[in-house]
Amino acid sequence: MLRQRPAASARAIFLALDRARAAARSLYVHVPFCFHKCHYCDFYSIVDRQDRQEPFVARLLRELAAIAPWAGALDTVFVGGGTPSLLRVDLWQRLLTGLHERFRFGPVAEFTVECNPETVTPELMGVLAAGGVNRVSIGAQSFEARHLRTLERRHDPASVARAVALARGAGITRQSVDLIFGIPGQTVGEWEADLGAALALGTNHLSCYDLTYEPATALTARRDRGEVTPADEDVEIEMFAVTLGATRAAGLARYEVSNYARPGDECRHNLAYWRQEQWLAAGPSASGHLAGHRWKNTPRLDDYLSIDDGGFAPIADHEPPEPVRAIRERIMTGLRLTEGLDARATLASVRAECGHTRAAALASRAEWHRASGHLIEDAGRWVLTESGFLLADGIASDLMGAVD
Amino acid sequence: MVVALPYDPPSMAPPLQIRNFSIIAHIDHGKSTLADRLLQATNAVSAREAREQHLDSMDIERERGITIKASAVTVLHHHQPGQTTDELESDFEPPAPEQRSGDAAMRGPASLRAPVAASLPLYMLNFIDTPGHVDFNYEVSRALKACEGAILVVDATQGVQAQTVVNAYLAINENLTIIPVINKIDLPSARSEEVAMEIEQVLGIDAADCLYVSAKTGRGIPELLAAVCEKFPPPRPPLVRQTRALIFDAQYDDYRGVIVYVRVFDGSLSVGDKIRMMGTGRTFNITDIIKYTPKPTRVESGTIGPGETASIVAAIRSLKDVRVGDTVTLDPDPATEPLPGYQPPRQMVFCDFYPATTAEQKGNDFEQLRDSVEKLSLNDSSFTFQPVHSDALGFGFRCGFLGLLHMDIIQERLEREGGVEIVQTAPTVSYEVQIRGDKPPAPKDTTGAGRSVEVVRIENGNAVLEVHNPADLPHPGSILEIREPICRVDIMLPKDKIGDIMKLCLDRRATYKSQTFVSDARDLVSFEIPLAEIIYDFYDKLKGITSGYGTMDYEVIGYRPDNLVKMDILINGDPVEALSIIVHRDKAEHRGRALLRRLREQIPRHQFEIPLQAALGAKVIARETIKAFRKDVTAKCYGGDVSRKRKLLEKQKEGKKRMKSVGSVNIPQEAFMAVLDQGE
Repeated sequence: MLRQRPAASARAIFLALDRARAAARSLYVHVPFCFHKCHYCDFYSIVDRQDRQEPFVARLLRELAAIAPWAGALDTVFVGGGTPSLLRVDLWQRLLTGLHERFRFGPVAEFTVECNPETVTPELMGVLAAGGVNRVSIGAQSFEARHLRTLERRHDPASVARAVALARGAGITRQSVDLIFGIPGQTVGEWEADLGAALALGTNHLSCYDLTYEPATALTARRDRGEVTPADEDVEIEMFAVTLGATRAAGLARYEVSNYARPGDECRHNLAYWRQEQWLAAGPSASGHLAGHRWKNTPRLDDYLSIDDGGFAPIADHEPPEPVRAIRERIMTGLRLTEGLDARATLASVRAECGHTRAAALASRAEWHRASGHLIEDAGRWVLTESGFLLADGIASDLMGAVD
Repeated sequence: MVVALPYDPPSMAPPLQIRNFSIIAHIDHGKSTLADRLLQATNAVSAREAREQHLDSMDIERERGITIKASAVTVLHHHQPGQTTDELESDFEPPAPEQRSGDAAMRGPASLRAPVAASLPLYMLNFIDTPGHVDFNYEVSRALKACEGAILVVDATQGVQAQTVVNAYLAINENLTIIPVINKIDLPSARSEEVAMEIEQVLGIDAADCLYVSAKTGRGIPELLAAVCEKFPPPRPPLVRQTRALIFDAQYDDYRGVIVYVRVFDGSLSVGDKIRMMGTGRTFNITDIIKYTPKPTRVESGTIGPGETASIVAAIRSLKDVRVGDTVTLDPDPATEPLPGYQPPRQMVFCDFYPATTAEQKGNDFEQLRDSVEKLSLNDSSFTFQPVHSDALGFGFRCGFLGLLHMDIIQERLEREGGVEIVQTAPTVSYEVQIRGDKPPAPKDTTGAGRSVEVVRIENGNAVLEVHNPADLPHPGSILEIREPICRVDIMLPKDKIGDIMKLCLDRRATYKSQTFVSDARDLVSFEIPLAEIIYDFYDKLKGITSGYGTMDYEVIGYRPDNLVKMDILINGDPVEALSIIVHRDKAEHRGRALLRRLREQIPRHQFEIPLQAALGAKVIARETIKAFRKDVTAKCYGGDVSRKRKLLEKQKEGKKRMKSVGSVNIPQEAFMAVLDQGE
């Protein structure tokens, strides 16, 4: 039974927007089911209970119908989680059909689904491929059983290669593998081995994440109790260097702090985030960005299922447009890219929004980082150097601080 | 609230007896509770009104449990000289239990009730509360000038402590009659007789004269009141016809301006009188005369006479117009000689206050700090301030305090009452510097508006400067000698800790002076120690060594030259003036190392390596390095992470704004206090 609550819903945000101007070209869909909660993960997910998958897909399709008028022809779709590949095949079919009924896809649309290697079956891959999915992101994390245990991942390391092969076999031509380094106890040599194993799969995209201790995760609690010892900073820095070298040798280029791709195979959906383009979002805890608004759906599956405001989901958070905030966000995410940040455009927008003094302050901070060897100005763009990438947060914080 | 006092003191029919006295004690020996109980015993305070520590008026006093400003309270009391203890007990109303408090309040103070014992002689008791901390000895002594007697309170469990001794000597020097009182005799650990012996041993006051009291339960209070009436002498008779009244305290009130506490010795003061301050020559018209009973109460007759204590309101706008210790006389008929005055308080400890905010807002914050400092100086005339500028910290104030506690109190009040956040530099003492020639040194730079260097006198053709900021030391080549303030430090301590305390003191360049037997368990040891050596952590160390049982008090006795040098601290190659200190040459290296170690902990890692150096002139005597941090990047920043991540980075930036930057190094406020921790 659906309940109508006067809770804040995304509806109000959408209705205030001009559909023509807010024509998003990207869509993110969140599938919240997981086998279990991974120790390092702070994404919203709930341990799978098969009985809620069906109502979830029905609810998701209603939300997709509600938000679809604000989409243009989609360039990218990304289904993340949770573990989207945990969704039953018949439900996947309904979801994919529903998506195509509600949205137009551009000619070279990128459609990615996140997969847990153990859930990848020929049947699922076939359904995904038939539904237009042309990219899978496979969460390998590590090929060492010991490190997988630290991360509380249960899959067999060999399942990764199988999953990649199955995706290929089904005609999903683009595959990405996720790896984590800086795992407690992991040596540089072990990381090199993991990297080698991943690159040997011949995928055209690799994400290598330095293990992050997110607040309120089990791993962080274990660290705080002294049960695990975080990797030494020097070791992590060496691992970054090793990653750069190995991926380069394999023909993959870094295009973001943690992402490496064969040229042309960068994840366009993620680039849309980092370039601060617009995207729609559906599913619990999904975040959207449209005409300067940022909002986040309720993270609670119960609320998502039970509260339905003409299809729109209840929201947990909303930031209305604010030009200065947008500039700061642009700086923050732009610096994470090897393409960098358009210096002239950034300075011009700062000048327009905050005045000459702030723009001059920003320029002088950028110059300071340039002089420190952490940033270069290349064809009018601010681009972090290799050492600069390691300090991206501090540099971003500093440049953002000049803008207020 | 001002209510009319229903008596007319000067014209009142005799026998109105006046007693002016203070209560002096070591901190926490129960002085304030005893004051409460005395007020209650005379029924001047109803039980409902009897808040704890009745005489303290500022919040901050209540929280710290100490008294900052002396206040004078006047109560009336009937007493039959020669009454027996039994009779006294029957007169005494014990602290009112809950159910009685209502009607006690309704009956009001004794002075407003029908006199139960109107036939008995009436005493006007003026008691003057004194602060109980080493920093405020000057306030104690000026309060004592207005008294004929002092109640010396000693805790029955703790015995004679350092401040007991110092305060008792202050009273003895003023020729006051002392009533020794052993307080807290209700406690199981009370060792009342032993403590009486300690008083006799250390102060030479007959143990048999001690009264045994529990301010908490009220035991012994009637006897104490009787002793106050019988043992304390009456005020001396007037010596001259003209009016002479001593200012023993002044407080600033937002509504009434400065309220001046006076003790009349000769003549009288009346509402409407044009008064003259003999020291400053300033004149004012008395608009009101108030006594505290302890409610502010208008003296209805408008006149106070010899021996009386009261506060006067005379439209005085600033505490700067009033000098405590000055004599008030009448402008039309002035006295020729002022009463013997006091030494003005001398600021011994100095530090800088800077507004703790961003570089962009510096202007506004400095204005706010200045407003707060000026406002506070209306309330507390014993701290001094002058504007300073530091390359590292911008514009601020160099402030002078009576001691470390005084400094803490001022900082806290500025932050609390003025709403400004403050970066405070490490405190230094005031030095005397003798330089070649009789000319003051040329200012080193042009930014130093209001530099704290002045020529105080010329000795044998050489100028002596008063320097209380290491940055202001003249060029080493021109310095003949640097003299520092020396204190006589009295330490009361358990005998088994004497060795450890000796070592502590000798480490602090102390000269041993004497050792006095107090009791089988404790001794009083005296040293002469440079003030600079005790303003840091000496008291904490003393407390640590003696497990809290040791107590100390100090008094500055003069200046002495020593081999003192200025040590500079360089951060990333830039000297940071606010961190410069003056040290003994032999200890410079040790201090420098300890200081740099502390700075290394306090200053966060940056994206570059930061060298820290301690230097005497051009010679580097210690160095440390803060390693660069090389990794500061979040692995993931996808669509849903943007808002959270942005807020996180903004927060980091805000955190940095709370710091001060020297060159490109951000230095947190705590680092400027790092100098405080001497390290071992």
